[in-house]
Amino acid sequence: MYILQAQDIYKKFNSTEVLKGISLQVEKGEVIAIIGPSGSGKSTFLRCLNRLETIDRGRIEIQGGIMVENDAGGRAVYSSEKDIARMRQKMGMVFQSFNLFPHMSVLENLMLAPLLVNKADPDQARETALALLNKVGLENNANSYPFELSGGMQQRVAIARALALNPDIMCFDEPTSALDPELTGEVLQVMKDLAMEHMTMVVVTHEIGFAREVAQRVIFMDEGLIVEEGKAEEVLLNPCQERTRNFLSKVLMAR
Amino acid sequence: MEYIITLMPSMLKGWTVTLQLFFIVLIFALPLGVVMGIARLSHFKPLAWFMELYVWLFRGTPLLLQLLFWYFGLMVIGLRVERETAVYLAFVLNYAAYLAEIFRSGIQSIEKGQYEAADVLGLSQRQTMTKIILPQVFKRVIPPVGNEVINLVKDTALVYVIAISELSRAARIHAVRDDTLIPFAIAALFYLLMTAVVQQFFKWLESRLDYYR
Repeated sequence: MYILQAQDIYKKFNSTEVLKGISLQVEKGEVIAIIGPSGSGKSTFLRCLNRLETIDRGRIEIQGGIMVENDAGGRAVYSSEKDIARMRQKMGMVFQSFNLFPHMSVLENLMLAPLLVNKADPDQARETALALLNKVGLENNANSYPFELSGGMQQRVAIARALALNPDIMCFDEPTSALDPELTGEVLQVMKDLAMEHMTMVVVTHEIGFAREVAQRVIFMDEGLIVEEGKAEEVLLNPCQERTRNFLSKVLMAR
Repeated sequence: MEYIITLMPSMLKGWTVTLQLFFIVLIFALPLGVVMGIARLSHFKPLAWFMELYVWLFRGTPLLLQLLFWYFGLMVIGLRVERETAVYLAFVLNYAAYLAEIFRSGIQSIEKGQYEAADVLGLSQRQTMTKIILPQVFKRVIPPVGNEVINLVKDTALVYVIAISELSRAARIHAVRDDTLIPFAIAALFYLLMTAVVQQFFKWLESRLDYYR
């Protein structure tokens, strides 16, 4: 049973085709890492999965609900806003640039969506938020404002904020790319903990080490296509494709 | 000194007219400016275009002319409006145009990521605007709005052209009658007092919102 299915996704920005027929099936509890050079379309693909970008062609199904599929003419047609909102509720998203709300305290950042969107009970929402902060190791920063925190701490808050809606899938768009190297570890650790709890995760990343250690499946994308995919060890240690080998040698050399 | 004291009753009376004008214009122009700023960014193109035209018209002509238009211009086509009505129409519509531009640019200065984060958390467009975007916009626009408010203090002097006895007109009447510049100096002090208060208020507002960046 797939929790998320994307089939033959095509997307153009103006006249540039950035996704040229990408398909992905995600099973419950699976951790998938998407790697590839800049401009390969990996972030765009992830953003299409929860409609931060709209697709031109293809089909996306989330937990049995159809978010978008082709009409008879082969053009993508989205479901009603209401249905899409329901599907997206179950998908958490973590951005490269954290995107915390700077005018709200950490606790308010976490409680906002549960209160506004889920109409949660305030006491309950606070309790959940504090438990999540505890989980990401920031229980002492509930009343801090984002600017007072390091990048790594901000990203951990962002992860906790996404978890506050109790998602079934977590999407990460280069979650450590904006961080100083010494701060990536604490974020990756939180993500590892999530993986241990069998959270379903799709992670766009440059962290090959993390992909190898945590992901069950690795997808290598280049120029809008999936070049190679398979078990993490196979793709990362023993790639079949020349392009994958080239990319990996460059990335690993740079370390 | 004695002469200054004899000036006070009419100067103070003029000052209350100025103050009343100032506050009433602000009360209407500020919210109108917010709404117009949002409207200029509307996805409904005719509305956005209308707002652009509006801003061009009201920012592109002298407030003095607009004042004359609302009073004498309407009279010419047979619409008699009260002098106060004409003044409020002119000032509110003019200041709303300037403020709309400030709020529009403020809204556009908020990073795209803020909208995206609100979007993936399931907030509606209205919730995104009221809970996420506008609170941050208000902090960012404090300095330019402060400028406009200080301008408004001084622009109130323009209403003398339709013979409303505000502060500067009261001063002029005395100056002409008594052949002295002292009333103008007194009027200047009144304006400086008002702008000092406005300046301090905005300074306080900025410090109040200094708890985040």
